[in-house]
Amino acid sequence: MKRSGRLTYHLCRLLLGGVFVWAGAAKALDVPAFAGQVAAYQLLPYAWNYTVAATLPYVELLAGALLLANLRVRPAALLLILLNALFIVVLASVVARGLDIDCGCFGPDAGTTPLQALGRDIVLVALAVAVYWQHDRYATTPAV
Amino acid sequence: MNLLQRTLLESLVIAVLGLLAGLTINHRVVIDAFASRLSPPVTAVAPAATGLPQPVLLAEVRELLADGARPVDAREAAQFTEGHLPGALSLPLGELDARLETFRAQVAVGETLVLYCSGYGCPDSFDLGLLLMSAGYLDVRVFEGGLPEWRDAGLPVAKEGGR
Repeated sequence: MKRSGRLTYHLCRLLLGGVFVWAGAAKALDVPAFAGQVAAYQLLPYAWNYTVAATLPYVELLAGALLLANLRVRPAALLLILLNALFIVVLASVVARGLDIDCGCFGPDAGTTPLQALGRDIVLVALAVAVYWQHDRYATTPAV
Repeated sequence: MNLLQRTLLESLVIAVLGLLAGLTINHRVVIDAFASRLSPPVTAVAPAATGLPQPVLLAEVRELLADGARPVDAREAAQFTEGHLPGALSLPLGELDARLETFRAQVAVGETLVLYCSGYGCPDSFDLGLLLMSAGYLDVRVFEGGLPEWRDAGLPVAKEGGR
């Protein structure tokens, strides 16, 4: 039982890390395009859209890479919980304002609607919460 | 310091490191954005060279329109009615086949067209631009910021019947 739990924990950790490394890399590769997508949310003044586009992908990349590398897993998972909570609030505001925009979550060409992105972010929060809570139980190397 | 506080602090450190990395790597973009001297995206190339509609920024759109370019709204007719660029013609991407002949009668192929839709996330204006170029229009530009950027810049928005 414990073994399957350990396997599930590591799969969740790798999946979460992989998703954010991918999301971060896709956006980091084209900062002006991502800035345009941030601007489409109509939440920030002009220059701040570029600041978010310049930095957010690297926060995601770093947190994802730490999860993949099995280093600082709890802080990385907590950061992703907070980040995704923020994304959920922002996407909810997009849905509430009826904006027809691409979420921009995975770079310029992903083509996800805000509602789809909202659903996906809720799943990602659940994944991050699971990694956070199960870390102490399963992270240590098993005695062979 | 308890475990949650320490974890939060470490999360903060990760976030700050990520921010610093992003700012270091992209410092030029951020500085230029705050100095308002960002040049058009590097993908902006002349239409003749590529056969693609040319992206234009808000400042260029204003100049083009002042020089007599024709704004074309690629969104649905209902959205057009709610608000559009002054002087714009409505040509929803989905209704191109039905409306192209009327459009041709109104707009000469040599006119400069500025296409727009609902902003950066919206591909309709670019797709419409490709179709209009293949229909023979020579100078097709796409205003990627679209109506949201126009409106947020405090520029006038026309409503059908309102002017």
